[in-house]
Amino acid sequence: MDNGYAVEVENLTVKYGEEIALEDVSFKLEHPSFLTIIGPNGSGKTTLLKSILGLIKPEKGSIKVFGINVLENATKARHMIGYVPQRERISTNVPIRVSDIVLMGRLARYGPLTVPSKHDMKKVKEALELVGMIDFWDKKFSNLSGGQQQRVLIARALAVEPKMLLLDEPFSAVDIPTQREILNILFNLRMRENITVVLVTHDVNPVIECSDKIMILNKKLIAYGKPNDVIKDEVLLKAYGAAVKIIAHEGICYVLSGDTHA
Amino acid sequence: MPNILDILLSPFMIRAIIAVVLIAFVASTAGSFTVYRGLTFLVAGVAHAALAGAALAILLDMYGIIPGFPEVLGAAIFAVITALVAGYVGRKGESEKMEVAIGVSFALTMSIAILLISMIKEYAVRAWGLIIGDILLLTEKDLLLLTVTTLVVIFTTLLFYKEFVFVSFDMEGATAYGVHAELYHYVMLLLIALSVVVVLKGVGAILVYAMIVAPAAAANQFSKSTTSVMIWSFIIALFGGIIGLIVAALYVNVAPSAIAGLIVTASYFIALIVSRK
Repeated sequence: MDNGYAVEVENLTVKYGEEIALEDVSFKLEHPSFLTIIGPNGSGKTTLLKSILGLIKPEKGSIKVFGINVLENATKARHMIGYVPQRERISTNVPIRVSDIVLMGRLARYGPLTVPSKHDMKKVKEALELVGMIDFWDKKFSNLSGGQQQRVLIARALAVEPKMLLLDEPFSAVDIPTQREILNILFNLRMRENITVVLVTHDVNPVIECSDKIMILNKKLIAYGKPNDVIKDEVLLKAYGAAVKIIAHEGICYVLSGDTHA
Repeated sequence: MPNILDILLSPFMIRAIIAVVLIAFVASTAGSFTVYRGLTFLVAGVAHAALAGAALAILLDMYGIIPGFPEVLGAAIFAVITALVAGYVGRKGESEKMEVAIGVSFALTMSIAILLISMIKEYAVRAWGLIIGDILLLTEKDLLLLTVTTLVVIFTTLLFYKEFVFVSFDMEGATAYGVHAELYHYVMLLLIALSVVVVLKGVGAILVYAMIVAPAAAANQFSKSTTSVMIWSFIIALFGGIIGLIVAALYVNVAPSAIAGLIVTASYFIALIVSRK
């Protein structure tokens, strides 16, 4: 049962056909905390998120979310999670208003033919307020900027009242000020709302200060721990296969060359 | 010139008017989800598969292998198989992969269709009738089939409306929020396939594409919500169909489905230009 851990992964191995996507990954994540997962392309970051959601059946290993075994009870485990998929995977062909999108995740849990209650609408409002998008209630999603769309998707995840948010590349294709704004929102959720935040990203630098834990993944778990214990030359070399420069500023280490898309 | 009202009130015209209304419902339900999912090519692929199925049914009937095998059943079987194959390839939500599968199925079923039609020479006109279609020649049985299918399509769409929208918007997210996305994905494709088969008889394999895709595509250019797309695609398809029938009533030699096809496709281009401003 719930033992203070948001996620417990043990000996997780995932294969796509013959190809190994994740090999023998084990870690525990306390609740609430802010975890950033980095690694080169194809290193299994998204696979790990999907495994936690129970969208992928692992070859072996176990995954628990707030003490619930995902392999045995994916539905119950998913109720703890608000998921924000990669924005590129979302269709802009469907004309939907912002409020309808935020409502979507909540209503999905009730099954077909349900109408939103006053309580549902209240939660949608609160979620949009948390991400600063309440003024866009009636706007068409496809007309919003990338950063605004991202915030709406975060609101959709918040509207289901999750204990944990999983975000896949929330900073892709958004400019730096927007990146900052989104990061602020996520950091506040962690600090004020006690929501565990797990995000996958290419560029670790902006996230370092906010992260309680950093995970470096390259099919195997290369490193996992507090930012300053993880951001080290030899660790990054192992993950990316190339020397990556690190500088220290105010006690925090920064990666100079960033992701090389190895 | 005969009195237009007399023509419009004749039994074949009344059947055609009912068919146009039903087709407009199909265009607004199955049509809008075809457009949302970027699967307009599926309609063309399924239509040509249906043609091959109908040709096979005629062949089985003609050679006495299965006497009386209904064309529409043959068409439906082929259409459903094509939709399921495309659906399997794109079950994770990748429309691009489905396009390729549909393209290959298209080539395969067209080859089968042409082969079969060449084998049933005397009866080929029955198969060719499906390519062109004729809304004025619908029998009561055709109309009944169209009515039942349309009701099934409307009922299923209304029942799973929110799930269909979610899956069209974001299949992966839908699954993560507890929707059986893969199941709804297949249900949507089946509805599109069945819609194509029944509309085929009225407007033909070539124009079924126009009638199902163009009204929703036009409405999607200017609509702010999915409800608005449904209403507007219904209006556009109905308008096109009725004008087609009126023109056909005035000028006997004009094919009503062609006029309808011209109107709905023109509405798409107009919507495209106007919404760019």
